Amino acid sequence: MPKLTIDGKTLEVAKGTTVLEAAQQLGVHVPRYCYHPKLSVSGNCRMCLVEVEKSPKLLTACSTEAAEGMVVHTATEKVKAARRDVLEYLLLNHPLDCPVCDQAGECGLQDYYMEHSRAKSRFPAEDKVRRQKRRPLGPHLVLDNERCILCTRCVRFCAEVTKTAELEVMERGDRSFIDLKEGRALDNGYSLNIADVCPVGAWTSRDFRFKQRVWFLKKTPTVCLGCATGCLTEVHHNEGAIYRVMPRPNAETNTWLCDAGRMVYKAVQAGDRLAKGVIKNGLIELEPALRETASRIDENHAAAAVLGSPWLSVEDNAALARLAKDALKTENFSFDFNAEQGIKDGILINKDPAPNAAGARRVKAACGGLSFGELAAKVASGAVKVLVTEARAAALLKNELKAGGARLIVFAANRSEIPQGAYATLPYANYFETPGTFVNFQGLERRTVPAVAAPEGVRPLWAMVNRLAVYSGTSLHLDSAEAALKGIL
Amino acid sequence: MENILLKDKVESLEGYFAAGGYRPLKKALAMKPAEITEEVKRSGLRGRGGAGFPTGLKWSFIPKDAQGPRYLVCNADEGEPGTFKDRELMLKNPHALIEGMAIAGYAIGAGAGYIYIRGEFAAEADLLEREIFAARGKGFIGSNILGSGFSFELYVHRGAGAYICGEETALLESLEGFKGQPRLKPPFPAVKGLFGAPTVINNVETLAAVPAIIEKGGAWYASIGTPKSAGTKLFCVSGPVNKPGVYELPLGVSFKELLEKHCGGLKAGVRLKAVIPGGSSTPVLTAAEAMAAALDYESLAAAGSMLGSGAVIVIPEGQCMVKLLQVLARFYHHESCGQCTPCREGCGWIEKILNRLEEGRGTARDIETLYSAADGMLGRTICPLADAMAMPVMSFVKKFREEFEAHAAGRCCAPEAAGKH
Repeated sequence: MPKLTIDGKTLEVAKGTTVLEAAQQLGVHVPRYCYHPKLSVSGNCRMCLVEVEKSPKLLTACSTEAAEGMVVHTATEKVKAARRDVLEYLLLNHPLDCPVCDQAGECGLQDYYMEHSRAKSRFPAEDKVRRQKRRPLGPHLVLDNERCILCTRCVRFCAEVTKTAELEVMERGDRSFIDLKEGRALDNGYSLNIADVCPVGAWTSRDFRFKQRVWFLKKTPTVCLGCATGCLTEVHHNEGAIYRVMPRPNAETNTWLCDAGRMVYKAVQAGDRLAKGVIKNGLIELEPALRETASRIDENHAAAAVLGSPWLSVEDNAALARLAKDALKTENFSFDFNAEQGIKDGILINKDPAPNAAGARRVKAACGGLSFGELAAKVASGAVKVLVTEARAAALLKNELKAGGARLIVFAANRSEIPQGAYATLPYANYFETPGTFVNFQGLERRTVPAVAAPEGVRPLWAMVNRLAVYSGTSLHLDSAEAALKGIL
Repeated sequence: MENILLKDKVESLEGYFAAGGYRPLKKALAMKPAEITEEVKRSGLRGRGGAGFPTGLKWSFIPKDAQGPRYLVCNADEGEPGTFKDRELMLKNPHALIEGMAIAGYAIGAGAGYIYIRGEFAAEADLLEREIFAARGKGFIGSNILGSGFSFELYVHRGAGAYICGEETALLESLEGFKGQPRLKPPFPAVKGLFGAPTVINNVETLAAVPAIIEKGGAWYASIGTPKSAGTKLFCVSGPVNKPGVYELPLGVSFKELLEKHCGGLKAGVRLKAVIPGGSSTPVLTAAEAMAAALDYESLAAAGSMLGSGAVIVIPEGQCMVKLLQVLARFYHHESCGQCTPCREGCGWIEKILNRLEEGRGTARDIETLYSAADGMLGRTICPLADAMAMPVMSFVKKFREEFEAHAAGRCCAPEAAGKH
């Protein structure tokens, strides 16, 4: 456990801790570009040079291990001069196209320039090295080689995290540029993290590009519902529209976020978003849709069944359980989802594509009901005449529904989710719009936080269930998400 | 004084053997490895590649308890402008290198050695391959050398033309099949070198001196040269002298003696203007400084320059220093690996400023910018390539400032040399 002094403050750190990390523990930020806590140390940007007593040269804080008795200074004139110089070198050949750069506002060059340099350029614009701009590389990214500072975070990300190693620094000296290796594509499923680790505007997201200046974005911390891993995320939005989803690094699940997870938000503002009911493929106002649905359920009161969904929150599953037990007064319901779970690619993506099988099972534990197999058999035999469920869960009973001929009533957020042959579809607010509790594959309970409002008139699923019950003549007294959870979590 | 390295009639194995070659190897194999390292330490031998690090000390950094393979690597990637001594040595006395490597390999416990040779040295590489084959045939290389139980295999690996691969860790990267870029240190190669194993990397000239040290003893070697700069050194002299070439002389010899006695003085009508004493990356000396300088590690450091690789570049009156620096800058700009920001960006910047000055588009402010662009690179990168660019720039500007100012004012400082541009 070496003890060292940084800027006059002494601390003890674990063996192997670098000076940069030790400084961080003291709250001293040593500026850096190439260093990233989750990538190997490359020491190439030279921005983190600090003064270490007894060392004739400045040392890179990122690669220097803390040693007993070491005395470090991070803000001497010598260090400040080195930072100014490195920034000047970095900006020599930089195009300075901030006005049209998506990174502006969250750019390492802008930030450190303001903090450590503010020097006037001594380099004539006509001497700048020109490189390729606007190169679409892979489905999600555009590369601007002129803005690149060659910190190699992207190269290391692909080599060390996805282990796909598509990227390489080609050429050398100031002719160096990042490029794909011959014959490769940048489609490793995690490519948007490259835009995140890039400290400048070299890598930008094709999806986010030119949509919004970052300083207008509001940030809502929430959970990814792309699979059972349940990564923590941050939704960036403005004036009711979502622009991007970023990872919220945490020790339990994720530093990164997969490309698919980042695109889940697309469904929220997709053209097929449902704001009305659908009866037999025809759009119909919500009230008549609810009335029609309620009467179809009433017709077959004795032969109605409810299937929960691993895509729904615990609250919404609980509401469906209440619908079965208290309104329909049937034992024909199931919240039993036993998909195989676990990280399937060694990084983040789960074997189970649904986010909340574990949450649904908690509803089962509290409310009982049939096993999935038992309910499936009843549906297949024709004993169930009407089934209420969520659209994607209905797909799990596709063959049984065909065999038994039950009338299918589903909740769906988007029209594309509606299974073929559904009789009635009711819209609901998704989890970018309403809070919900999800239990990930590790059993961690995580709550979504709404970032945007649901389309006019669209309510959370628990509230839709409540109204459906009212149309059937029962009050479930579900006046909040918490009310639905009572007795379950 | 008798030459240790550059001798006649030792090009072939027969000649080398007849001159007493491979007796030191036999002697060494009867010694304990640690005794050899001690002998080399005693000799005062220092790295001849440029940095001058004590060779025995470098060998002793191999961890005693290291398991697994260890490697010996010979740096024959001779690329420093002005330097052509290793090439001469390999051509004239290849077995001194081969035997030196076998002894050094035994001393550090390496089972294999690699000679990383500059790609352009195709003939030298072929020659080495041939002579290694001959040495293997006599049992000096290969398994169970001279019945000692020590086995040492030797390979020749040709570089692909990058100056940076002369930097020892970039050399290792290249040898492993990667792009030649210097590694972050620590860990140093002695701990984690080639293929992650403990590795010693020595220059050709350093290794070639080892057989003589073992044969005649460290004390004998230390008696040559100066107390801190022991032994002989190959000096490669280029420029307008009567007899340019490679000279083996004791360290501490004066530049005056090298020039006048060995190189036959300056060509007729030539006046000395400046000398770059240790390869293009070392700071330049004015004529007066050079004529007063002794050529050894300490004396040249005291004179504000470095012994470097021993490449003495003689610069005549009439040579435009701006033009000369422009040529150097073009070289370093071309050869910077591009890893560290100051070097990647700074080398190109310096070349562009010099282009402006040389083409008459420069301003007085360019001179300040030139100097500070170099100053910002000095000592701030992973390897010394940035220093190798910065040191000549700073010394040229300091010592020949009036020529830069003349250029900034639109005149070439050396009109008589204009034709040579």
